[in-house]
Amino acid sequence: MDQAIEQFFASLPARAPAVLRAPVSGTLQIDLTTGNRTDHWLVELGPGEAAVTRARGPADAIWNSSAELFARLVTGHAQSLSAVLRNETTYSGNVMLLLVFRRFFPNRPGVRDPRKIAREQVRRP
Amino acid sequence: MMKQLVSILDGNTFLVSDRRGDVEPSYDFPTGLFSFDTRFLSTWLLTLDGERLHALSIDDAQSFRTRYFLVPGEPTHYLDAKVSVIRNRAIGGSLGEELTVLNHSGREMQFTVRMDMGSDFADLFEIKHKGRKKGATTAIAGENELRLTYRRDAFHREAVITSTAPAQVDQGGMTWSITVGAHQEWSTRLHVATMIFGARGEDIRATTPLGGTRSPEAIRIEQQQLLDRAPKLGCDCEPLAGAYHQSLNDLGALRYESIALGVRLLAAGLPWFMTLFGRDSILTSLQVLPFLPELVPPTIKVLAGLQGYRLDDFRDEEPGKILHELRYGETAGFEEQPHSPYYGSADSTPLFVVLLDEYERWTGDAQLVKQLEFAARAALNWIDTYGDLLGTGYLWYQTRNPETGLENQCWKDSWDSISYADGRLPGFPRATCELQGYAYDAKLRGARMARLFWNDPVYADRLEREAALLKERFNRDFWITERDHYALALDPDGRQVDALSSNIGHLLWSGIVDDTRAERVANHLLGPRLFSGWGVRTLATGQGRYNPVGYHVGTVWPFDNSFIAWGLARYGFREEAGQICESIFSASRYFDGRLPEAFAGYDRSLTEYPVQYPTACSPQAWSAGTPLLLLRVLLGLEPQGEHLIIDPAVPAGMGRVELLDIPGRWGKVDALGRSRTAEDNVRGH
Repeated sequence: MDQAIEQFFASLPARAPAVLRAPVSGTLQIDLTTGNRTDHWLVELGPGEAAVTRARGPADAIWNSSAELFARLVTGHAQSLSAVLRNETTYSGNVMLLLVFRRFFPNRPGVRDPRKIAREQVRRP
Repeated sequence: MMKQLVSILDGNTFLVSDRRGDVEPSYDFPTGLFSFDTRFLSTWLLTLDGERLHALSIDDAQSFRTRYFLVPGEPTHYLDAKVSVIRNRAIGGSLGEELTVLNHSGREMQFTVRMDMGSDFADLFEIKHKGRKKGATTAIAGENELRLTYRRDAFHREAVITSTAPAQVDQGGMTWSITVGAHQEWSTRLHVATMIFGARGEDIRATTPLGGTRSPEAIRIEQQQLLDRAPKLGCDCEPLAGAYHQSLNDLGALRYESIALGVRLLAAGLPWFMTLFGRDSILTSLQVLPFLPELVPPTIKVLAGLQGYRLDDFRDEEPGKILHELRYGETAGFEEQPHSPYYGSADSTPLFVVLLDEYERWTGDAQLVKQLEFAARAALNWIDTYGDLLGTGYLWYQTRNPETGLENQCWKDSWDSISYADGRLPGFPRATCELQGYAYDAKLRGARMARLFWNDPVYADRLEREAALLKERFNRDFWITERDHYALALDPDGRQVDALSSNIGHLLWSGIVDDTRAERVANHLLGPRLFSGWGVRTLATGQGRYNPVGYHVGTVWPFDNSFIAWGLARYGFREEAGQICESIFSASRYFDGRLPEAFAGYDRSLTEYPVQYPTACSPQAWSAGTPLLLLRVLLGLEPQGEHLIIDPAVPAGMGRVELLDIPGRWGKVDALGRSRTAEDNVRGH
């Protein structure tokens, strides 16, 4: 299992108070596949809190992904909703859980604050 | 061109065909059967004994059903048909078509009926931008079934076409060799299922809580329920009555189930915009709120759920920003277009706050305001952080996606919509005036919600202070003294983009206009340069880029006018607001009550009828919402505390306007207005 993924899940309980602010609760099962192996993660989400276990359901939604894609999501290299639209990853169940969970995914590496760019550009002669 | 086409729709599934009911491959206009931004049929062409048919008549009274009455040959022939064909077509998630061949002769006849069928599975954006497919399409002929499949990696769409009558099926369609007795008929039922494959190879609509697709009968019932719930209008003014009923029908038809979200949303417009737009859905919600408040919460919740949370240059996303456009097709999935979702609009975020507040004022649904406190605060925060790109206290926009992003991120989003009076285009970023009005209104409404529902009077005070400063600053920086109107925008150097435009009308709606200047703004709006007689033009005559048939540079947009009328009424210009109501209702008569997206800016005295903009979308949600908002303006409906203020000002000649059972926190109330002129009294209404 990719270390970035392990670290990502480990960080969720501490990040939840800042990230999970919507009135949405439920359990999301994330199945990550590498070759013939599937790792199961169960994330209980609620306003301000997230609990993570390595287990299967019962869950309000199931998300199937390759570990490879998920590693790109947790490092900001891919975007979750377009991956669902192209069916590279599949999701079934309560969609609001995906919408709150995606907030844990970071910026693409190297992205710059648009204000900084705009202000630099305007100051240019 | 639009006039030659017939459309049926249910939510974001729609079919556009010619007047014979046929679809021929088209690469520049979206004809065919579409669902969730994918074309599932691009060929659907009927022949009888090798001959095309032509239409005697078409019955398209219902939005989801059309009947074509056809005979063989060209319309120039002397008509003595021994045979005729009826195509009875309905849409409801999938497409159903009953094909009937009637033998009018006194002897048994043999016919060869042929339907050419095919799909290019084009994404709507590939039609707009003429792209090429990267995946593979296959056609498999089965027993009375033709299966058209498109695959690109895991992306998988299918159109499965079946016939109830035995058919010879080939890869290009179906043929029926039939014998029909004297004065007898033959028929088959064709069914086209549109499949969008997701988890475990199932149709994605089966694995998300959408309840599957609706049958035409279910659509009819649901639309009827929507009509039954809406307030009842009684009036002497026929165009008003017609427009009101057509609007309710169209709003019913434009509702669709979001494939990703499992809720019923309003699509923005046929055929290009059958999806969720932040700006369109918010402005339409504001228009329909007094009539159909239950349409509003799903929109608010979904916009909050999809609120931006990170920096993403491709999608112009920033934390707190409300989306511009969400698409479901191949180009969004493979990131050839940024609509997953795209965040390139600078107005949807403040407007989101405005809508949430307005919704509570009508319905008393404090719970939603409390639930969405964080989303609303994030939106308000965006206004002062990422929204203020240059740090000058204004909302600015500039795309970070020059390839597929939008240059202009305001409602006038075409490339040439923002110009100086002499026609030059300003640089980026740009701060258009109406954005500042929306930000001002959002702050005041945010303050109200903070005080009443979020238990944060300190924040409320701060927002009110900021709003007051913004108003002062705006009236200093945007007012052009020598022209007596507000500038359309500021350019990146802070200079005024000095064109005279309809945007100044939105400023009245937001309340950012100094009282001392309101009359001058009203005079411009109803003056000869902006007012065409059919409504307020997007750009005034005499401006460098004025063009009566330019999309955002001279045409009249009904939705634009509805917000301008609301703004005029807000500042007490009821007569002027009534003039706009009268002009738009008069125009609606020429479109059978269905206001198009836009019509040409020609003077009313010149054309005597409103000329439809060539490729205008119709029906379109915020055009359908326009008669509703205008009615609100005519009757002077305004919630105040637990009550609804009713203060009608009906223009001369319009007679009686009565609206019964207006829903809200007061239960249901009736409003009655009547124009008070000698003429009306004589007519004895």
